[in-house]
Amino acid sequence: MTPSAPRDPEPIDCEAAVRRLWDYLDHELDASRGDAVRAHLAGCAECRPHFDFAARMQAAVAEAHADAVRLDVGDVASLRARVVSALRAVGPSGRG
Amino acid sequence: MSVAPDRGARDAALERALLDALPDVMRFARALARDPTDADDLVQETYLAAWRGSRTFRPGHDARRWLLAICHHAFLRQRERAGRVVVTDDGTEAELEALATAREHGAALRDGLEARLATIDLAPAIARALDALPEVYRSAVVLVDVQDASYEEAAAILRVPVGTVRSRLFRARRLLQAALVEHARDAGFRSTPPLPPGPIAGRDETT
Repeated sequence: MTPSAPRDPEPIDCEAAVRRLWDYLDHELDASRGDAVRAHLAGCAECRPHFDFAARMQAAVAEAHADAVRLDVGDVASLRARVVSALRAVGPSGRG
Repeated sequence: MSVAPDRGARDAALERALLDALPDVMRFARALARDPTDADDLVQETYLAAWRGSRTFRPGHDARRWLLAICHHAFLRQRERAGRVVVTDDGTEAELEALATAREHGAALRDGLEARLATIDLAPAIARALDALPEVYRSAVVLVDVQDASYEEAAAILRVPVGTVRSRLFRARRLLQAALVEHARDAGFRSTPPLPPGPIAGRDETT
């Protein structure tokens, strides 16, 4: 028996592609559904800008949030000491 | 021959496992609470709750995920105590949010706003828009976009179904996009030069 050749992804229309917009960008689609989106985008000039902009926005959000929650080493050490002290004051774990 | 660790050794191991996750818990708490002092209080509350409820934690389990779930729960309880409304309506079908997001982006493209977004600093607008998101939406964005959680992991932390995470996340991104488009509109309005006197070449004056 010869191994079957890889099949082309099932064609999808613009609506189906856009419905998968975020799942695709978040890498949540299985291989065949992701391939179908990729193939659609390769041939669709209407959908590509939506996906490109969504990806830009997603990256900007991650960057903005990472800036907002950037930790100072001293802050971590200080809170760590505070937490350790609070836990030790409680005594052994599991008393809740 | 292995010897069962005594309680002191178990607690020491638990403490190490919990503290290893401290930076992630701090980032998550700051993203939720926004105010650093409130966030630090939330972290302490999280660790105390974890310590007291350690019977529900099994060695080898993901301490980070367990702590983030406790942190999120503690945060929502704090908000409820403070009388803050916690949005929990997740009735919207997630994929409809994706469709609406693309449709609204299409409108921004037609209005020339998307091109303007490429030329202006998005950081302040995004930071403001993130701050303005309802907590449940922001939690989903923080987990997936900042902490790189999968939908499944985010669902476990938020203690909601995966479909709810998708709905919240997609709605949040639609709101963020709307805020960015509004920002572009305002920026364009502010940067529009005053019209020079007299007829303007290329302007449609036929009506």
